[in-house]
Amino acid sequence: MSRVLRSELLKLRTTRTALGFAVAGVLLVLLFVLVGVLSGNPRTIVDKRAILSIGDPLAVVLLIFGVVGATAEYRHRTVAAGALIVPSRLRLSIGRMVAYGLVGVAVGGLMLVVAFAIGLPLLADQSGPSLAGSDYVRAIVGSLLACGLGAMLGVGVGVLVANQVAAVTGTLVFLFVADPLIVAASANVGKFFFGSALMAVGGRGNGGHRLAFGPAVAVIIAWTAVVLIVAGWVDSRRDIS
Amino acid sequence: MPGDTQDSAIRVAGLTKRYGGVAAVDDLSFEVRAGAVTGFLGPNGAGKTTTLRILLGLARPTAGEAKIFDQPFAALADPVRTVGASLEISGFHPGRSGRNHLRSLAVLAGLPFSRVEEVLGLVELTGAADRRAGKYSMGMRQRLALASTLLGDPRVLVLDEPANGLDPQGIRWLRDFLRAIAAEGRTVLISSHVLSEVAQTVDDVIVIHHGRLVDEGPVDRLSGPQRVSVRSPRLADLAAAIERGGAEVSRSGDDVLIVSGLDAAQIGDLAFAAELPLHELAPHAASLEEVFLELTSDDLTPEAPEAPA
Repeated sequence: MSRVLRSELLKLRTTRTALGFAVAGVLLVLLFVLVGVLSGNPRTIVDKRAILSIGDPLAVVLLIFGVVGATAEYRHRTVAAGALIVPSRLRLSIGRMVAYGLVGVAVGGLMLVVAFAIGLPLLADQSGPSLAGSDYVRAIVGSLLACGLGAMLGVGVGVLVANQVAAVTGTLVFLFVADPLIVAASANVGKFFFGSALMAVGGRGNGGHRLAFGPAVAVIIAWTAVVLIVAGWVDSRRDIS
Repeated sequence: MPGDTQDSAIRVAGLTKRYGGVAAVDDLSFEVRAGAVTGFLGPNGAGKTTTLRILLGLARPTAGEAKIFDQPFAALADPVRTVGASLEISGFHPGRSGRNHLRSLAVLAGLPFSRVEEVLGLVELTGAADRRAGKYSMGMRQRLALASTLLGDPRVLVLDEPANGLDPQGIRWLRDFLRAIAAEGRTVLISSHVLSEVAQTVDDVIVIHHGRLVDEGPVDRLSGPQRVSVRSPRLADLAAAIERGGAEVSRSGDDVLIVSGLDAAQIGDLAFAAELPLHELAPHAASLEEVFLELTSDDLTPEAPEAPA
């Protein structure tokens, strides 16, 4: 497995895809923090926590990063080159998933530095109660987990769908259309879908119907595992070129 | 190759692959001798790539089996050192350099980066190794694909249409390259839809058409029995005399007969006995290309589909 992991990390380092998504992440974090502080006028603990909880929006970017990375293997037909060396496609997919998860955590860490560097001075000027140490820990751990798990889940979705356009479009439609509709129809059901759970892990939720941090992490891990199992089953039966 | 003690390196038995109701490969069976260079021939859509993909574990057969050294590809203990394969020249990320593409495969295979430099040198791509692969010419892409097949120094090479898109210089380079590889005693299975591309390199040929085996054996045998062209002002009388002698006769133009089943001396004796004048008596073997085209002559019928990309 370490060979698969190292190969995937080398592949990630040697194209501009990861860099492009990291730049997109920086811009998103800048926008998220600056708009949140400057126009949101955060005074409560909940508002201030939300400013630093960048894992929620960033996890979506990294989920798409995972989808794009996994589907690129089929788009550029590099998946066969790997399978000719390691015939177990499930092993390749798991290695890819772990590699993207690690990169997701690294990107999340970098974005946290950006968010804290900008957000903390701005929040210090705001009135109201100050954030406690546990709030910072929660923002850091939640953001890193959301970023890592989001990227891993994206790889699973990419392996499952294989077609890049369909996978990216489908993921965006699910996150921004289907998931909110499900939550609106039944929040008790919707909170178990990965869009809502990612929000809960990343630091925000949907009002009083979000999962607590621990259960939300468990839900994302469960989604990732289910998607990987289904994707692995589908991929092992798929003819590749 | 040292260590190749088995007679057959590749064995395909009763292989069938259906897409919907159409058979891309239809009950195909053949063997590839260890240490031989074998041409896997057939027109476009004959089922060559589908067969190779099944052999390499990239596609699942509907029926039958394809094995390398008596094992399915997925069961090989050390696939990268056993088989090197190139099925798609576009099997690389266009934004990644050739060197990094090979390095990612080397890491996956547990090989040192020095091996990457070796294979880059073998395919004469060192100078362009740091350029993005998407900027490579067709010939450079073929060389990169060949480099990836050689990474593990494998005993068997499977190459799918490696001459596709190459200019005459590239084809000549490929021919020299394959000769050098063959001289090392490796087993090579090379597919092509153009016999002349591989005729000077291969020992054996396997010809398929519409997913079925048409012919297989040493390439020399493919040239078929000797035929004799005969020119005479009394062609009809001569044809009748030759047919009475037990040979097959066909016309080529207005005044030439093509005779198979008798040699030139026997035909001359027959003509002399029948008191028929001869203006030409020329033995010739059909060219490989002629035989190949004859074997795969019904190309106007719908082709069996290759596997979807």
